[in-house]
Amino acid sequence: MKYILAALIAWFLAVADVSALPYMKILDVTPDLLLVFAASYAVLRPQDEAMIMVPVAGLMHDLTNGDPLGASMIGFAPLVILAAVIRMQAVETKFIPALVVVAIGTVFWGAIRMCVLTITGQEVQWLDATVRVVLPLAIVNTLFVPLTYVPLTWFSAAHRQGIMGRRRITSPL
Amino acid sequence: MRLVWWLATVFGLSVISIFLSQHDATDPVQNLTLTVSAPLQSSLRDLAAPISEAYFGITDRGDIKRENDRLREELETLQNQLAAQQDAQQRVRELEDALGLRQSRPEDTLLAADVIAEEPSGLKRAIAINRGLNDGIDEGMIVLSRAGSVVGTVSRVYDDFAWIRLITDPESAINAQVNIAALSSAPPGTGVLTPEAPSAQASPTPAPTAAPAEPQTVRAVAAGDQRSGIVLDLIPSDAPIATGNLVVTSGLGGNFPRGLLLGTIDTVDERPQAPFKSATIEPSATLSGLETVLVLISFKPARLTGP
Repeated sequence: MKYILAALIAWFLAVADVSALPYMKILDVTPDLLLVFAASYAVLRPQDEAMIMVPVAGLMHDLTNGDPLGASMIGFAPLVILAAVIRMQAVETKFIPALVVVAIGTVFWGAIRMCVLTITGQEVQWLDATVRVVLPLAIVNTLFVPLTYVPLTWFSAAHRQGIMGRRRITSPL
Repeated sequence: MRLVWWLATVFGLSVISIFLSQHDATDPVQNLTLTVSAPLQSSLRDLAAPISEAYFGITDRGDIKRENDRLREELETLQNQLAAQQDAQQRVRELEDALGLRQSRPEDTLLAADVIAEEPSGLKRAIAINRGLNDGIDEGMIVLSRAGSVVGTVSRVYDDFAWIRLITDPESAINAQVNIAALSSAPPGTGVLTPEAPSAQASPTPAPTAAPAEPQTVRAVAAGDQRSGIVLDLIPSDAPIATGNLVVTSGLGGNFPRGLLLGTIDTVDERPQAPFKSATIEPSATLSGLETVLVLISFKPARLTGP
């Protein structure tokens, strides 16, 4: 059930990314809520779940935005690795790690996507694309982390409560 | 170790998917996804557009008023130019008839399409429309704005949908020509209407000593650019182009008909000793927030018709 719910949210965010969000430009780029969601998911949910949901989110991304199918599936993969690296560190809150995963994950995703576009024979202006798109997008995506992090934290807490009995839901931050 | 296996699996699946996608094997899946998503996409766009307009209306009110004033002035100038153009067009038609020439664009057949999605990342500049192979659309066809300026070309087509590569996409390259027409660049006092010389419009008797400037065209390549939008490259260094000159398609190569408006020269970049100079183009069509576009289905690009 949780996978279906997460896949539906991913699909909705993928659709929103290409339809409503292009109207909202910050630093001349459009935030990628699906990438932010996938990164938050990788940080907050167990690794087993992330290993399924993150590629699914990448697939949704490709299906809606006209990229070669698989480009974002591989582009999102570093999110799981980054979340795993962060899990090794002892941290009190997962919010800061989520910000870091989103920022670095966006840069990785941009680099991988540019590689895929280049390999598939499309023109990519690497320097301009990095400076004008990928780096601003990393900043903008980081600003949008609370939008997916907070609901996911509540969902995770509620889920734990359902499995382990009644517990007080603490602040997401 | 588990992560390594997982990564290898995802990598393998991605490579296979990309390969299949490059050979159009995944088109039915992508068409199905767009079919399912299209109603939600349209609803979200309808919801977001007024919110965006309201937000920018509040924040950019001063700019809007200034732009409105500027546009009114520009409209007046263009109406004057249009009157002169219509006269010239009539004369061209008469000459074509007299010489028995075939008209380059007899009657354009246009197919209206709604924009349902926009590539959000900025690495590519593309939009999706709700028309596809079933509507007679094919890759390479030209897409225009409602006013008739070039928006882009069809880059990928599914059964019911198509992706359009915008003219600002780095992949886009169009053979263009700059019309250094007497109408737009003649200096004041030559008896020609110019935006900079309203006195010439008002005066019924222009200076009798000055001869009208000869219209001139300069050929170049208009390429999409990540930084500047569109860059006009390979302009001969001695070409007298200036800000405000109109840029249209040249028809060379056969992928575009001649005379479709791309935009106007925004800035000119000249370098001493260089054999060519470049310029940036301000596109005539508003490329962000497009809602409806027109696909020119009567013109078959050379790449579709073959040798």
